[in-house]
Amino acid sequence: MLEIKGLAVSYGATTALAGVALHVEAQEAVCVVGPNGAGKSTLMAAIAGGVSPRAGSITYEGKPILGMRPENIARQGISLVPEGRHVFGTLTVEENLFIGTYAMADRRHAAADAEMLLGYFPRLKERWRQPAGRLSGGEQQMLVIARALMTRPRLLLVDEPSLGLAPKIVDTVYETLLSLRRERQLTLLINEQSSERMLRFSDRIYVIRNGRILLHGRTEELRDGEAIARAYFGFDDKADAALEAAP
Amino acid sequence: MINLIQTLIDALALGSLYALAALGIGLLFGILRLINFSYGDLITLGAYALIVPSADAVANMFIGNWPAALMIVAVCLIVVIAALLSDALVFSHIRRAEPSTLMIASFAVSYVIQNGILMVYGARPKSANLWSDLSYQITFGELHIPLLQIVTIAATLVLMAGLTLLLKRTSLGIQMRAAAEDFKMARYLGVRGNMVIGLAFALSGVLAAVAALLLLTQTGSLSQTMGTPLMLFAFIATVVGGMGSLLGAAAGGFAVAFASVFLQAYLPEEFRPFRDSFVFAIVILMLLFRPSGLIPTKALVERV
Ligand SMILES: Nc1ncnc2c1ncn2[C@@H]1O[C@H](COP(=O)(O)OP(=O)(O)O)[C@@H](O)[C@H]1O
Ligand SMILES: [Mg+2]
Repeated sequence: MLEIKGLAVSYGATTALAGVALHVEAQEAVCVVGPNGAGKSTLMAAIAGGVSPRAGSITYEGKPILGMRPENIARQGISLVPEGRHVFGTLTVEENLFIGTYAMADRRHAAADAEMLLGYFPRLKERWRQPAGRLSGGEQQMLVIARALMTRPRLLLVDEPSLGLAPKIVDTVYETLLSLRRERQLTLLINEQSSERMLRFSDRIYVIRNGRILLHGRTEELRDGEAIARAYFGFDDKADAALEAAP
Repeated sequence: MINLIQTLIDALALGSLYALAALGIGLLFGILRLINFSYGDLITLGAYALIVPSADAVANMFIGNWPAALMIVAVCLIVVIAALLSDALVFSHIRRAEPSTLMIASFAVSYVIQNGILMVYGARPKSANLWSDLSYQITFGELHIPLLQIVTIAATLVLMAGLTLLLKRTSLGIQMRAAAEDFKMARYLGVRGNMVIGLAFALSGVLAAVAALLLLTQTGSLSQTMGTPLMLFAFIATVVGGMGSLLGAAAGGFAVAFASVFLQAYLPEEFRPFRDSFVFAIVILMLLFRPSGLIPTKALVERV
């Protein structure tokens, strides 16, 4: 579904990504794990059209999307839930939720979709006419996920959904994402700093550090967590060995 | 008492004009972080659009002779096209530039428009009579109110109400508000960046055009810098109101006008020539205590 090759992104003199290759198959839940500053957010921004890569290719459903505008990538069926949530604080919950359907002038399913999503996030219904800036962190996270889903994406990119949220709320968020995946044939690419939760929720894991993919493999093969820890904390020779071993 | 009411109405009318211009500036700043110093020249252009292009000293009305409704639409169209052109030719090429770069580019646009007007219309100020009926004074007892003031206040109220409805009730307006708050996030959700920016330029053009008509009716004279003072006061209004908030821009416009008109009315005679210095001193004082303006916006994130 998504295929990235040789992706390189720089911010001025800082290299954020170098030669990143990654693929996601339809209806997978894939996780990118890496420490702060590894390049996870940059990777998602590049997929969603928010940064211009220096080199590489990104194909989505067989179509090259690198160089397309963010709004057009969104129209291809990719939606990004960025790090730090980014609700439109002065807009109401309702306005936040519908913004994507207004933008894409596709309101046929909007009411039914909103109804369905409010089933998952009933708190949002209670806050319907309030400015989104007044919601709690957890509610905002639910709002931005629901808002992204209103555009009917087939691929949902979620950048560090657990950042700044209580573990219980994070579990709810993940459970919701996974049941949405089942019920709406959603494909998930999720960034996290820690792999602990991802070992429970994902099909495959990529470990990224200093802008490079150091390890990737099926979650069940990485279950003991040791290879991930080595790659994550940067004992590079072993990580390279693990990289050879990974499928 | 009568004096006070008269002064109040003067302030409301002047505030309306400032608010119109401040809203036009605020719209562009809100979406693009563009401090547009060519805004005053759009106002000037709107006034010149009424007359036959020539370097003659007397202004011969051209569009200015058309029926009011048609004239307003034509002037709005011309100014909107000029605003959109300034985006297409200049600003759209530096979308990712720093706000300071954008501002300097707007000085260049201002220079081009002013010199364009000089070339076509000549350097001499011209007198022009627009809507002279509006100088008619309505009398309520001892109170004399020029019709123009009522029209100015009414036009501003109508435009502000229209703008509010557009922003609050239409899907385009909601997209604009989202983009003003977080441009990149809005685009990730499918909001077309160029459409929103184009709309902001077009709306600011409409506001400039109406301000131009009201200003020309009031002053009765054309010069290639006629829009500049209005723009400067509008800038002060947006700063006073809180950059980035449209409500703040409008409130700032009225606040600056009230300060100005009341100082004019109540300052001792010998200080009146320095009225603007007093206005600016009040503004500086106010900003010392409320640095982010009357209605601060929290979402002044720099756009990347
Ligand atoms: N807008 C930016 N300007 C300059 N450098 C940036 C910017 N965004 C990220 N970086 C740098 O790029 C690298 C990768 O950052 P990021 O993608 O945010 O990592 P992560 O999401 O894994 O924490 C870091 O070194 C970071 O400092
Ligand atoms: Mg990040």
